[in-house]
Amino acid sequence: MKKTKAIAAAVLAAVMAVGIAGCGGGGSTASTSAESAAAGESGAAAVEASAEDLNVMIETPVQSLDPQQATDGTSFEVIADYTDGLMQMDETGKPVPAIAESYEVSDDGTVYTFKLRQDAKWSNGTPVTAKDFVFGWQRAVDPKVASEYKTMLIDIGQVKNAGDCADGKKELSELGVEAVDDYTLKVTLNVPVSYFPALMYFPTFYPVNEEFYNSVGDTFATSPDTTLSNGAFILDDYQPAATAFHLTKNADYYDADKVQLAGLNYQVIQDSQQALMSYQSGDLDITLVNGEQVDQVKDDPAFKTIGAGYLWYVSPNISKVPELANKNIRLAMTMAVDRNAITETVLKDGSIPTFTAVPPQFATGPDGSDFSADQEKFSDVCKTDTAKAAELWQQGLKEIGKDSLELTMIVDADDAPQKVAQVLQEQWQTNLPGLTINISPEPKKQRVQDMQDGNFQLGLTRWGPDYADPMTYLGMWKTGNDNNYGEWSNADYDAIIDEVTTGATAQDPEKRWTTMYDAEKIVMDEAVIFPLYSQSNAEMISPSVTGIEFHPVALNRVYKNTVKAAK
Amino acid sequence: MKKYTIKRIVTAIFTLLVIVLILFILMKLMPGSPFNDEKLSADQRVQLYAKYGLDQPVVVQFFHYVINLLHGDMGVSYNISKNTPISALVATRLPVSIGIGFAAVMIGAIIGLILGLLAALKHDTIVDTICTIISVIGVSVPSYVFALLLSYSFGFRLGMFPMLYSQAKAFQSSVLPSISLSMFTMASIARFTRSEMLEVMGSEYMLLAESKGLSGRALIFRHALRNALIPIITVLAPLIVDLMTGSLVVEKIFAIPGVGSLLVNAIQSNDYNVVIALSFIYSAMYIIIMLIVDILYGIIDPRIRLAKKGD
Amino acid sequence: MARKAKAAAAAAVEAPVYVPVDSDFVLKDNADSIAIDENFASQSFWKDALIRFFHKTSAVVGLVLIVLITIFAIVGPGMNKYSYSDQNLTQKNLAPRVAAFENSGILDGSETIHTSSGDKKINYYKEYKLDDVYYWFGSDNFGRDIWTRTWQGARVSLIIAVAAAIIDMVIGMSYGLISGYFGGRVDMVMQRILEVCNGIPRLVIVTLLLLILKPGMGTIIFALMLTEWVSMSRIARAEMLKLKEMEFVLASRTLGAGSFFIIFKEILPNIIGPIITQVMFSIPTAIFTEAFLSFVGLGIPVPQCSLGSLISLGFNALTTHSYQIVPPLIVMALLMLSFNLVGDGLREALDPKMKEM
Repeated sequence: MKKTKAIAAAVLAAVMAVGIAGCGGGGSTASTSAESAAAGESGAAAVEASAEDLNVMIETPVQSLDPQQATDGTSFEVIADYTDGLMQMDETGKPVPAIAESYEVSDDGTVYTFKLRQDAKWSNGTPVTAKDFVFGWQRAVDPKVASEYKTMLIDIGQVKNAGDCADGKKELSELGVEAVDDYTLKVTLNVPVSYFPALMYFPTFYPVNEEFYNSVGDTFATSPDTTLSNGAFILDDYQPAATAFHLTKNADYYDADKVQLAGLNYQVIQDSQQALMSYQSGDLDITLVNGEQVDQVKDDPAFKTIGAGYLWYVSPNISKVPELANKNIRLAMTMAVDRNAITETVLKDGSIPTFTAVPPQFATGPDGSDFSADQEKFSDVCKTDTAKAAELWQQGLKEIGKDSLELTMIVDADDAPQKVAQVLQEQWQTNLPGLTINISPEPKKQRVQDMQDGNFQLGLTRWGPDYADPMTYLGMWKTGNDNNYGEWSNADYDAIIDEVTTGATAQDPEKRWTTMYDAEKIVMDEAVIFPLYSQSNAEMISPSVTGIEFHPVALNRVYKNTVKAAK
Repeated sequence: MKKYTIKRIVTAIFTLLVIVLILFILMKLMPGSPFNDEKLSADQRVQLYAKYGLDQPVVVQFFHYVINLLHGDMGVSYNISKNTPISALVATRLPVSIGIGFAAVMIGAIIGLILGLLAALKHDTIVDTICTIISVIGVSVPSYVFALLLSYSFGFRLGMFPMLYSQAKAFQSSVLPSISLSMFTMASIARFTRSEMLEVMGSEYMLLAESKGLSGRALIFRHALRNALIPIITVLAPLIVDLMTGSLVVEKIFAIPGVGSLLVNAIQSNDYNVVIALSFIYSAMYIIIMLIVDILYGIIDPRIRLAKKGD
Repeated sequence: MARKAKAAAAAAVEAPVYVPVDSDFVLKDNADSIAIDENFASQSFWKDALIRFFHKTSAVVGLVLIVLITIFAIVGPGMNKYSYSDQNLTQKNLAPRVAAFENSGILDGSETIHTSSGDKKINYYKEYKLDDVYYWFGSDNFGRDIWTRTWQGARVSLIIAVAAAIIDMVIGMSYGLISGYFGGRVDMVMQRILEVCNGIPRLVIVTLLLLILKPGMGTIIFALMLTEWVSMSRIARAEMLKLKEMEFVLASRTLGAGSFFIIFKEILPNIIGPIITQVMFSIPTAIFTEAFLSFVGLGIPVPQCSLGSLISLGFNALTTHSYQIVPPLIVMALLMLSFNLVGDGLREALDPKMKEM
């Protein structure tokens, strides 16, 4: 019995010892994890921001640093920090040469020949060649990789054989991209794609060095050691799903002279109040603020609102809910919404009330004008007009033979969507007598599945543009498109969409542009969706920082030309 | 005792297997899949399912998983950190959560015990009332409110501690999270210690010990506290597991790279492997701690030990 | 007791014949034993307990608070013209303003905003020219009345917490007692089942349940019930292990009592103290779990509210409009405090051994 007691005492002592070690803390724990990080001591040391590092707040951790696997804006931004594609974005979002010095287009618009610059190097010293692009693109359609953004090559980019390669029907070597020599890349397309050069800054099209990839195998792009840089910065401290990581300036970058920052210090902060306090105490140079905090900072010169590109809209399930198949009911619902109330009083982050199916400020036409600059062009079917809404509503009710209607709207169980949903609920119930709206918050994955399966009545959803062309939106409402949640179908519309993507109009930019207006008009006249607002982000940007480039498409923030004044 | 311990370990392993199976079934019931995203088409979803073997029957998936698990392979993440082995993901995060959690348990348990003892010894006095109020505040204010208030006052206004967790300053930046996490433990332990001590002190054997002339410290520590500890340990054990496996809200507020926030993100994005792996780790820790508690019982309370011998 | 003696002494002073001194009537050092003489022998156990309960001031205070909060939870939402879900976006984020205190400088509708260019005091009521508008607890970011929502939330939270706690108690207690009493193989199997239930993180079970079932009060109660009974059963089992070898159990068994008689009639009354303490703790746990679910977006569906969801909402405005979190937080704290006080009172009143204390 004595023996048992002694053992017990030992166990207790051990538990206590672990406890004390635990108290002492964090110290020992962190040193082990820092050692396990590939960067080792240098990585740990790098966390301490040097004076010229830019301290950036992000809301979510990076999901993937593999350019062909990444799908979210944060990952794209970080990948682009240390990787250059053929083209890059200038301040206004136009494509300008990066690794490609120049390119030529064949007369029929289907063959692009990129000339690569010869002074671009990977961070292990090997030059960046056309083969790296071929390998990267082949990965993008490789069924084994199962890239979620392969459609950038297939439907959007129309690269020859991309679809067949992705389905395994053709060898990857048959993909329409070819390294003519080390510094010449030839791309063959199925049909002319007017915005093709603008796709080249999208990370799915970034190069991957095959030799390096094979040497690291499955661990590619999961740590600084398994990542190669050819861009302005080098990743030097990173762990998968890290809440803080660091990039340092790439001295061997071909354009290194222009890069002013010593490095980038990323910090994931999910709580907006902590983020603002960190900014105010000087730990961050750029941070997001939420609507509640705007009152506190709106007079501050550091406060900015920046368009984020997302269109938020309500999708009515036109095919499955008989009442919503009635056009007047739908028109009444879209006209009963006071979009200004949503943006001005609830969101307050500079989001723009939107009355068009294609949101403003991302697609610029051949004449240089914004596709959706005129928000009143559909004012006969989409504006705030409660009287007309009520009238249409009564008419619609009569047509469906009912005097009341109860609908459920599914929304993401996140803060902003739920706020918006509550305002919509209140406005609809007040302005359309007899309408009852139930809000059903669901986790995003479930909400998306329900909408994809057609298992919903009304759904609050959003869409971010993949490329700077109205088709990124208009393509959604084609019959059979996966994102046509309401399964609305219109033969005229489908014909127009085919015409501007693969038909004759595809090669005539001006005509294409006006034809797309016709398509948008059908969507709005039929109230296929109820557009609400174009999302903006309210941000605080330290006055000492200038030259951060913001884009609604592809790469949200670019730091190549950013300058941080010494304090 | 030895035989009993071995038997417990064998059943513990069996229990873990049952838990993995149940988790598998639960994951299948979960609406949505890891690949429900606006940008993914139906074909792509099928392809991704095939890539990760999710198109196979649950039973096949289960056996694959168990076999891999025996090799120490917990699979890869589907979307939180794409294709990253979960062992790598957990290896860097679990130590952080355990460190902060254990510090919180220690702070909470020690202060809780002291408060509870004080309240019991000074029963029905102002000391008792104050201890009650402190512990009630501890249970009625959510830890995230504490976290933000601490961060605001000690981090932002006074600048004494960092507002966000950083690995370079792991000790200083763990102070505020540990304190905010310890409040609930402290309150629970204080309440329970008080109630158990009162009960024990009212019992006949205490009266006997008292009348035998034992007094003061010996009476309280050797007799009263020892008996009061049994139920306290029962309350403490699950709290330890809860805290060491990370707290969602506190990790979120202090930007701590722990496993608590990972689990919530994984559930919300249907990252099956991460949910199963983290739940498995949680279960394993829970079962181990309960095993230790059970063995400790026998040592603290001879009656249970004797009863077990009889089995 | 001593006071009674003094009163008696004072009365005796007036008697003319013999003038006794105080010390004649001071009892020996046995005031405590005399307290026992206040005889309850003829009363039933419960009446006895009730009297003891009402002798404890703190317990009575707790009970009064619970009753008050319950009354407010019932009538509070109807006390002004606002409803818990009506939005008025032109009157949002207004600080508390009460007509009676308005001129005394507190609750006059002004609040201090910490802007990046310094603190400033603003009265939005004046700014928006809302002379006749009074939000007693202020309004939230949709312009909903926080007074109404707080009491509506208290109502929802009370229903959820009490229902969940009672169901836990019944299930957990029975499970723990049976498991502990029978021991051996029964205990082994029951504890393994419990370990499996408890081994799966609560968050995973609750979230999955809420995803599979329709969100709402019933689902939340069900989810809480499924997870919370475990700790109750553990307490009951630990107590059972302590008590089952005691002589009175043996005595009862020798007299031929059946197992279930012993469990529920003999042992249960002896462990009611810890059980009640645990119930008092499962109420905040229930409210907390609900608050946590609100925090991850799976709590009571909007625009309905509970104390937990109101605290989460107020939390988002803690550094901007700090008054929004105060009412639900205070109500919740008071509720917890009073449940604890009542729990203590009950425990001491119900535990026969505590009589001597």
